[in-house]
This record gives sequence, structure tokens and C-alpha cells, in this order.
Amino acid sequence: MGQRFSRLLNAVLSAPAVPDGLAYPVAFGFAGAHLDLPEEDVAVAYLRQSVACLISACQRLLPLGQVAANCILWNLGPHIESAAVASQNREAICFTPLLELASMRHGSLETRLFIS
Amino acid sequence: MYVDSQQPPWRAIRAFRQDNGALLVHLHIVSGGVLGGDSLALRIDAGPRSSVQITTTSATRLYRHREGLPESMQETTIDVGDEALVEYLPDALIPFAGSRHRQQTVVRLGSGSRFFWWESLAPGRQAMGEAFAYGSLSIQTEVRAANRPLLIENMLLDPARRPLASLARMGPYTHCANFYAFDMQLAGSKWGELEAQLTALCGAASTPGDMMWGSSLIAAHGIVVRGLSISARRIPATLAAVWTMTRRFLTGEEPALPRKVY
Repeated sequence: MGQRFSRLLNAVLSAPAVPDGLAYPVAFGFAGAHLDLPEEDVAVAYLRQSVACLISACQRLLPLGQVAANCILWNLGPHIESAAVASQNREAICFTPLLELASMRHGSLETRLFIS
Repeated sequence: MYVDSQQPPWRAIRAFRQDNGALLVHLHIVSGGVLGGDSLALRIDAGPRSSVQITTTSATRLYRHREGLPESMQETTIDVGDEALVEYLPDALIPFAGSRHRQQTVVRLGSGSRFFWWESLAPGRQAMGEAFAYGSLSIQTEVRAANRPLLIENMLLDPARRPLASLARMGPYTHCANFYAFDMQLAGSKWGELEAQLTALCGAASTPGDMMWGSSLIAAHGIVVRGLSISARRIPATLAAVWTMTRRFLTGEEPALPRKVY
């Protein structure tokens, strides 16, 4: 994802703004720095994009309509903002092995819900 | 092998020569485990073109902390010299009820070097009915090459505040394992081939609800394999199979398995 994002941004800007070989969140942050955007705004944009992707997946998996999906995203706005603000004073930690295993295995599954 | 200095509870047992020419070194914690307030430091410096395998004599037990003591800590620094090969294969970490521990590992890879590492984590003393009864466990890992970070992991297991049975964390599984391999010689285009082989192996080793394995390339020069299981029994054999496949692919040699039960 990081590589795709880097290539997309570099194509849009017609310049080598973000190097290859970066993980997606790092590439996203790198792009924010390149565009001289405030850190907090970049964090909000990243979180909002992540949440929007999850909601979009839910729309395909669940009986969730466009209005309801957009309401969820809108209502999560303040939480996304406060999470971005709080992240400045919080150590970045992660322990989600089952989620990671699912991601690792997804690419080689015979039946996939979101083949791109 | 030269031991510059060692203080209790660490004890490096003399090196044995393996059939493949590498040195096998056992690390022993003579106190039997890590006590509250312990601050352990381990520094491994593998010189250029050296080949060494490091393992432990048994699982590392993190004992219950006495009230008021700070968390225990283990800091490990491994320097893998140019064209050296290091295999760091410790036994499982077992955090007892009430333990609080921080583990920090920094690995620096030289030009043309190789590094293999596995680690596994138990939920506690299951025979005593303990599972995730420890206070907290922080595992920080950083692998760098030429001042570039290749891998940074910052895990915090805090069972009371962040339940590990969450579907994002461990779900129904109780034991986890990680395997890492780095090779500063292998061409970037070959890594995909290794990933495909490991993905097939992980798929064959996985039975949902019992044990799950997966592999993924990292941004450069390495691959990570993760596993979750409902028991400790089958983890060593799967880690050994993953290591064997990876070692064969990267070096063309069979690994020399430490004398353990697989």
C-alpha cells in the first residue's frame, strides 16, 4: 500500500515527493511533511481515510446503506480529531497479531471478498 | 567466542562448534528467572564473517513482582558484522501472574550480513491455571541497517486494560510466536519467491481455531512470520520448519537445530 500511495502521489505531483519502500502510514506522513501540512491535520486525514475504508468495506459486507455509512463517518469525526490530538502525547504501540495474520493470509486466499 | 564481561544472573556457556562450522552459545539465567526490579543487559557482537547460533537453556520465566518494585527490564543489543550470520533462537517467554516486564532489542546489521531470530510468548503458567494474569509486557524491537530502520515494533500487552481475547489481538488463541529473517545479500526480486514458499508452508501449518500462521515481507531485506496457537506444543516444530525453509533458501544450507524438543 505504501508503494502504491507513493507512486500515486508522485504521479499527481509530477515529482519524486515520496520515496519507494515505505510502509503506508510512514509514506502518508512523509507526504504530509513534503506538502508542508501541519502534523495534526495529517494525522486527522490519515485516521479519517482509514475509518472511511473500513466503513466502505462494511457497506459491501453488511446491509449498510450510503446514508447510514455517512452518518457513522460524520459522527466519528470528533473522535477522530481527539484521537489525532491525543496521539501527540502518546507512545505509538500496537499488538494486533490476529488482525495481522488475517491480512497476511488474505492475499493467498482462493476466495476473496475484495479482489482489486 | 570471547566473553568481555558477565554478571549474575547471566551466564554464557562455552561455545560448541557445530557441524556447519558455526558456534553454538547457550545463555543461562542462573537465578531461574527474572525478578521484579531486575535490569538485564545482553550485548552480542558478532565480528565480520563470523557465524554464531545463540539459544537459551530453557524458557525465560518472569516472576511475580513484589509490591512496589519497578518493572523488570531486558535490553539486548546485537551487532551483526559485515558478512556475518547470527541466529538468535531463545526459548519461550513465560510471564507469571503479577509480573511487569519491558524487553528492548536493537539489532544492527552490517553489509552482507544475515540474521535469523524467533521468539515465542506463553500466556503464563497454564499448569497453575494462569492465563494473561501478568501486569504488563512491553516488547520493543528495532532492526537497522546502514542507519535505516528495517523493522520497528512496539508491542504492549496489558491484559487488564486491553483484553487479549479481542478479535483484533489474539482472539481464541493463547500463544504467539514471531520469526524474522534478514539478509543483506539477497536481491530484492528474490524475496517474493521466499514469501510464496513460506505462505504455502504457513497455510499448510494452519488450522483455524487451533493454530494460525502467516508471512509477510517487510519494506526491505527481510521477512516476518507470525503464528498464534491454542497450545505451546506445536509452535517449536513450526518455527523450526519455517527457519529450515528460510535458511535453505537464503544460504543454501541446512540449519543446525538446537537440541530441543520439536
